[in-house]
Amino acid sequence: MIVLEGAGRRFTARGVQPVEALRDVTLRVPAGSVFAVVGPNGAGKTTLFALVLGFLKPTTGSVSVGGTGPRRWARTRGAAWLPERFNLPAGWRVRDSLAALARLEGLGPAEAGTAAAAVLDHLELEAHADKPVQTLSRGLLQRVGIAQALLAPRELVVLDEPTQGLDPLWRIRLREIVADLRAQGRTVLLASHELDEVERLADRAAVLRDGRLEEIVELRAGAAEGIVYRLELERPIDLIATAFPGAERVDGGADDGGGASTGRADGAVDGQRPGGAVYRVRVGDAADLTRRLAAVIESGGRIVSVQPGGSGLAARVRGGGAP
Amino acid sequence: MRSLRLAAVHVTSMHRRLLALGGLCVVFLLAASAAAVFLKDEHGDVHIDALFLVGGYPAASALLLLGWLLGHLPLVAVLVLLAGVISDDRENGLARLIAVRPVSPIAVYATRFAVLATIAFVVCAVVMPAFDLLMLGTWAGPATLVLILAYVLVYGGLIAFLSAWTRGDAWLALLLAILAIVWAAFDRAATLPLAPGLARLVGFLLPPQPALFELENAFAELQPIPWDAFVYCIGYGGVFLMLAGLSVARREV
Repeated sequence: MIVLEGAGRRFTARGVQPVEALRDVTLRVPAGSVFAVVGPNGAGKTTLFALVLGFLKPTTGSVSVGGTGPRRWARTRGAAWLPERFNLPAGWRVRDSLAALARLEGLGPAEAGTAAAAVLDHLELEAHADKPVQTLSRGLLQRVGIAQALLAPRELVVLDEPTQGLDPLWRIRLREIVADLRAQGRTVLLASHELDEVERLADRAAVLRDGRLEEIVELRAGAAEGIVYRLELERPIDLIATAFPGAERVDGGADDGGGASTGRADGAVDGQRPGGAVYRVRVGDAADLTRRLAAVIESGGRIVSVQPGGSGLAARVRGGGAP
Repeated sequence: MRSLRLAAVHVTSMHRRLLALGGLCVVFLLAASAAAVFLKDEHGDVHIDALFLVGGYPAASALLLLGWLLGHLPLVAVLVLLAGVISDDRENGLARLIAVRPVSPIAVYATRFAVLATIAFVVCAVVMPAFDLLMLGTWAGPATLVLILAYVLVYGGLIAFLSAWTRGDAWLALLLAILAIVWAAFDRAATLPLAPGLARLVGFLLPPQPALFELENAFAELQPIPWDAFVYCIGYGGVFLMLAGLSVARREV
């Protein structure tokens, strides 16, 4: 679906040192997959999206979408896009803006009104539909941004920092929206600093740093054998292997399963309480996880946190390599 | 006309600019009404001498300034309404929201330009004849409309082109308009300190003020419309509109 071959982008301006925002990036995003792009600020995520959507042309290499140029793809097939800092001109009202953008999607006047009403309802924006956009909070504006991206069923969906400004409830709703897009076979490109969200949502993630592609992490590898979580306990317990067969201790503690260690004197990983224990465990589904956690609690274990964390994406983005 | 709704949303969000333009038009008409009520002679004309006797130099100057400004109302209307016609979208991100949709951005901006240029034309086509009717009891007929159309096309095209490249579109257009007016005045007086070929080239690149002067004279002195001057203005505006379209199609967003 999306192919980048040695793609690079250099920005030049008079009197300023040229900036290599993206260098020699080669990657393929299969159709129907959810592909994340992660990395620290300034890594080149937004530039990569700008190349994929045809806003910018690569200064080196090539970019194609569905076998054609990105701009041609957008002109003929359209793409759903949520920008990093979504905004609309001051004075535009939410419903009118959505209806006008729906007309640009090729919908007739009546269909555009219906599409706007549908996304307003889907994103629970009906109460704010007649307000000017500049009166909306950051979270509401982000939901308007998501709404405009969903006006038409586009094959390519690009979401740049979609959780920005969203409250916890809407972060969960966003997961459902992305799951729906996946189920419909859309190709979703996603950038986020919320690595937990990325691990939940994406099939693969490209780690960018200083404009270079460092690695591509398979987030769903071994998904058939279960979902991997990072389980932190207040202190190690003996019965962990009974509750979670195959659990690996990954904090460098006594029963180290071979995982990464931060090398701290207290043996704790970042954010872990001193004396605690961090395990990588595998479960079938959410119900299975709940059952096994109950077993841990019954056997005296005190749970500090449970997070998706099979891939060690956070460590890779921090530059710590694979766990 | 998929882009018409977007143009309508754009226009409704421009209420401050529309109010400012409307306010200026009201000032013109109030001044004309006041002059007509207090200073008209038995033939229905307002004489500047009579105004000078009533209000002295300031009153006479004010009416002359208003008259000069009114002659350039199409330029003012175009500058006010078309400022940022493309560049604002690049600034606020709307250009990219348009670019990901299966629609030609040229069609989007052409529609917006047509709507705004039509508003500028209609406002001037109402106010300028109304001013003349109040002050003179008659109006210049179709020459008024031809003059307005020429201004809208020349400066509308120029602003559209500049707007595809810079946020200072209207200011640059105003600067070029002033330069063109001054240049044409020097040219008529044959006092340009340049070689004739170079002077002609600069005059050719600047907005076609000599052609607009011809149309203004026809409007002011109720003369036949100089169609060759009008066609030149259409050509000048048309070239810049085409360049604007090419820029929108080719430029990164």
